[in-house]
Amino acid sequence: MNQHILKKEELDAFIKKLAKRMKVVAPVAKGYDNFAFAEVTSADEIALKYVPTILPPKKYFMPVREKVLEFSADAKGFTQKPVVEYEETAIFGVHTCDLAGISCLNMVFSERPRDYNYLTRKDHLFIIGLECLSYCDEHASCALVNSHLPNGGYDLFFTDLGDKWIIHVNTQKGEDLVEGMGLPKASAADLAALEQARAAKREVFKNEIGVEAKKLPGIFAKAMKSKVWHGVGERCVSCGNCTNVCPTCYCFDMADSVGLDLRTGARTRTWDSCQFETFAKVAGNENFREERSERQRHRYFRKFSFPLDKFNRFFCTGCGRCTRTCMAKINLKETLKELAAEHN
Amino acid sequence: MKTANKPAKAPAKAPKAAAKPKVAFFDFASCEGCQLQITNLGETLLDILGAIDVVEFREAISEKWDKDYDVVFIEGSIGDHHAEERLKKIRARAKVLIAYGACACTGGVNGMKNSFKLDEIREHVYGPDYKWFDSTPTKAVHQVVKVDYFINGCPVYAPEILEVVKHALRGLPYTVPDNPVCSECKLNENVCMYERGVACLGPWTKAGCNSWCVNNGNICYGCRGEVSNPSKAAQDVITKYNLKPELIKNKFDMYNKCKENDQKPGKGK
Ligand code: SF4
Ligand code: SF4
Ligand code: SF4
Ligand code: SF4
Ligand code: SF4
Repeated sequence: MNQHILKKEELDAFIKKLAKRMKVVAPVAKGYDNFAFAEVTSADEIALKYVPTILPPKKYFMPVREKVLEFSADAKGFTQKPVVEYEETAIFGVHTCDLAGISCLNMVFSERPRDYNYLTRKDHLFIIGLECLSYCDEHASCALVNSHLPNGGYDLFFTDLGDKWIIHVNTQKGEDLVEGMGLPKASAADLAALEQARAAKREVFKNEIGVEAKKLPGIFAKAMKSKVWHGVGERCVSCGNCTNVCPTCYCFDMADSVGLDLRTGARTRTWDSCQFETFAKVAGNENFREERSERQRHRYFRKFSFPLDKFNRFFCTGCGRCTRTCMAKINLKETLKELAAEHN
Repeated sequence: MKTANKPAKAPAKAPKAAAKPKVAFFDFASCEGCQLQITNLGETLLDILGAIDVVEFREAISEKWDKDYDVVFIEGSIGDHHAEERLKKIRARAKVLIAYGACACTGGVNGMKNSFKLDEIREHVYGPDYKWFDSTPTKAVHQVVKVDYFINGCPVYAPEILEVVKHALRGLPYTVPDNPVCSECKLNENVCMYERGVACLGPWTKAGCNSWCVNNGNICYGCRGEVSNPSKAAQDVITKYNLKPELIKNKFDMYNKCKENDQKPGKGK
């Protein structure tokens, strides 16, 4: 589709017009170099240069807590009603690593049995990407998994060309919006400038761990008994932060809660984490992943091994959130390097 | 949900409370702040009062009810022989016993007494005639009698009171979450206290309060008690954020000193 242009001084008008049509969320500074996606109504609230937000935009696709069912039981019998809550929302400023995360979740939730709550909500989300031309920080490993470049999964995608953004339009919804706002088409010079920006980016973004991505499956094939997991497991405090902040983690817990009338109630799903002691515990107190080392190993295999067989791609986007948030300094890039060193 | 590893777990089949159950509240050593939380329930309180029959509330009705109780709430920790005897008598008359608040569930701040030699602390508090004043090391309620439900927290968290009451009314066991407070804190997207350079006990403390304190700009003080299998390796957390190990330990002792009673063989339960 087409490329359009938005002058930087016109961003505020763009956001305001968009906010008239739907709720707009964008990265907002929370202090201490932390950012979060939150509702905005003007451009000056938005942090255009930001380190990946505390929680990824998955929170809009799959809310942290979500009512999925209402039920009631009385003399007339048992009735239940599925609940899908959604709101027309534009997510502005999504980095390519997070676009990759959304693609992963789309694959997971489109599998049968389909997750209608996720898929319905997805249809009401309008995604505006924003390209990084330099690294967010030293914890990123997006080039390793090739998620530093746009690869679809958005309606519009912004790339900085100095005093303006060039906007790649990827969907009909996106086309309607930019046409409706009367944004001019990009000129040949703008397209050349985009090429230049990408060429410069190639010089900045390089494989961050010095091990080729195509070697990772082989490394993981031999990593089940690695000592690396013991080191990691001894340090981990099982806070679950690494999975809660991960754009591709999707595990949840379901719980029914009944009202004081003891007749009506609702079912809620809440994000869960494989790092919690309770996650793999079953009746009789048997725990399939009792040791922290086993739980950490599981997390890494869930990113670099299992999804490869199932979806033919890594489920790590290199966003670096797990490293930033880890209470115990467990570092994804370091762990991968240690695993690679063990088997070379 | 999963089962909490409390020494006295709610049994798989908790005793079922009667249709309009007779409920009583008793306090032991506490600040009574947890009772105040009941009034903070607002409209929900009226609904709860519609479902139960309160026969005793603190000293107000003063132990006049002479039949059995369907549900008793015990607030406070146990700190002398008289309290132990009184608690055992209440237990004998109660079908369901709920430990209510940190003092009752974990010993709470009263546990700090156990950091000192008993006589020294008695003398400090009561003066030279301290021998006249009965005092024992602080115990949590489950360290004296069997507990069916725990409502942790200093103070208790209102939505959890409601959850536990509903479980008790249905005769179902309630499971105290055994994940760390961080799990809720992260979902609330707070900036981590450690990022602000302040030590927080969230990684070792049981969730269930929806990271109440951090949401309001405070650290977690550990009031809900330690998770059942806390990580021993606080060292990395401490070095990552340049903290002193004693700092974390001291902060922890504020609410968790009585846990040692569970660990000493032959003491408590
Ligand atoms: S594993 Fe870590 S770096 Fe990879 S996507 Fe998840 S949070 Fe990001
Ligand atoms: S990980 Fe890469 S794509 Fe993601 S924010 Fe950082 S630099 Fe941008
Ligand atoms: S964030 Fe770090 S300490 Fe917390 S569960 Fe993950 S690896 Fe363990
Ligand atoms: S502020 Fe405290 S509870 Fe929240 S994530 Fe940090 S350590 Fe955990
Ligand atoms: S955040 Fe910590 S101190 Fe505050 S209520 Fe929860 S457990 Fe207690």
